[in-house]
Amino acid sequence: MADALEILNLVKKYDSLIAVNDVTFNVKPGEIFGLLGPNGAGKTSLISTIVTVEKPTSGSVKIFGTDVSVQPRVTKSMTGIVPQEIVNHGFFNIEEILTFHSGYFGIRNNKTQIHFLLHKLGLFEHRHKRVKQLSGGMKRRLLIAKALVHQPKLLILDEPTAGVDIELRQSLWEFVTELRKSGVTILLTTHYLEEAEQLCDRVGIIHQGRLRRVGPTKELIDEFTQRNINLVLSKTTGSLTNKYLTHQDQNKVSFQIPSTMKVGELLAQTQLNVSDIVDLQINEGSLEDAFRRVLGGVE
Amino acid sequence: MIQQELRWTPFLLLFWREIRRFMKVVVQTVLAPLISSSLYLLIFGISLGKSIDLSSGMSYLAFLIPGLVMMGCLNNAFSNASSSVVGSKFAGELEDYKISPLSHSQIIWALSLGGVARGLMVATITFFVGQIFCYIQLGEMLSVKSPLLLVFFLLVGGIGFAMMGLSVALWSKTFDHLSAFGSFILLPLIYLGGVFYSIDTLPVFWQKVSMFNPILYFINGVRYSILGVSDVNVWFAALMSLVLLFVFYILSIYSFNRGSFQRW
Repeated sequence: MADALEILNLVKKYDSLIAVNDVTFNVKPGEIFGLLGPNGAGKTSLISTIVTVEKPTSGSVKIFGTDVSVQPRVTKSMTGIVPQEIVNHGFFNIEEILTFHSGYFGIRNNKTQIHFLLHKLGLFEHRHKRVKQLSGGMKRRLLIAKALVHQPKLLILDEPTAGVDIELRQSLWEFVTELRKSGVTILLTTHYLEEAEQLCDRVGIIHQGRLRRVGPTKELIDEFTQRNINLVLSKTTGSLTNKYLTHQDQNKVSFQIPSTMKVGELLAQTQLNVSDIVDLQINEGSLEDAFRRVLGGVE
Repeated sequence: MIQQELRWTPFLLLFWREIRRFMKVVVQTVLAPLISSSLYLLIFGISLGKSIDLSSGMSYLAFLIPGLVMMGCLNNAFSNASSSVVGSKFAGELEDYKISPLSHSQIIWALSLGGVARGLMVATITFFVGQIFCYIQLGEMLSVKSPLLLVFFLLVGGIGFAMMGLSVALWSKTFDHLSAFGSFILLPLIYLGGVFYSIDTLPVFWQKVSMFNPILYFINGVRYSILGVSDVNVWFAALMSLVLLFVFYILSIYSFNRGSFQRW
């Protein structure tokens, strides 16, 4: 089966600025892929070329095996995008907006799907309102409904939770998880790395137009972070000598070990007795730590 | 299957959206042109028209009506198409077209036909208001000499001007750009295109200059269709109208390929 998204040596230049610089990665069908990077890293430029708002300078983008430059109407039919910025539709109410948007994708009678989405996203009772009458959160949900009216196989979420309160963010992520269960492949960008860590099967970290790292979320965290082990002992012990020791103060000792190393291994190395341990605290590395390490390594 | 659906549905829905868009602001799109046409007919056709003698012996009011009909059609087709694109750019909605499977050709034809629909509506209203003025002033209404030619010139001119509106709007970076084009290029061309006078009344040099004004052919085509008189040969006017439509279509295709869809 073809990859849901296959990006090969993609370059996007704006005059002298190289927004996307030789980026290659793929997104497998049914996975949630997080594209992470600081502001101005090139995420939106990359997404713009995927959805053909921008033409690539060189390289190729394929969606389920079809090149977006060769058959854009086919790839667009398979793709839904939730843009970063709110779109205002002046004259029309929500139901009209979704009806027209369905039509642009070749679907004339789409009331069932439109009403399903309106119910699902809590917009049904607001369906006769115009965009300017909606709250910020409702406007975001409308963007999601628009992206899903044609039931795309690939959904691109470009910072869908920017400026959204915690409750709505939570419900949006739950919806994203449901969509994935129904077989939709998801490419998302977000600045909320804790949420990306929970949601994404794989992530790619982009910085200054270049893809610095790509891989399964857990593996990336393991590769770029360490575990902090804090022990409180029942009695003051003599001076410990271990290469992972970071701090020792009377009966309190701290270690920083590789993410792949087991605590048992550390205890065996230090020859500490389990019966002497009063308290043990393990701080695992996070995606945010890995993200900082990856970006720190290139600056 | 989906390809078949993409052939007509996106175009039809966008066209329908355009109709709904201008019908939602009917005061601005239909009533305002109605008022301005009535004022033109009252001031130029009736008040000033009394002191204007045409060499053909025709009433100036009757001479004026076809020009106003075409002016209303061209102006409104241009405004509708350009304001639709500019409004969509401002709202960020234009990118919706780009991310959907709408082809450039579908967008151009849907927006142009939306524009000409408004143009035809205003032209029809202007014509009927003109008929009322004619009946009051002259005691009889105008009869249309060639309805088919009338429809041809209104459609070709309206679609052409809507396409020009799309192109100008796509290249505009601010509302000022669009308004500058309307004020400094479109309006002078319309006023100098023979709406209010016959180019026979101009010195020879200016008659020749007028032949380069595309609007002259549309106005005279409509005037011939209604009254049977024209400053230029009607078949030449028809040919020029088709050539201009082709030029505007190519221009709009070029603009959609090269112009910006990004929001302001």
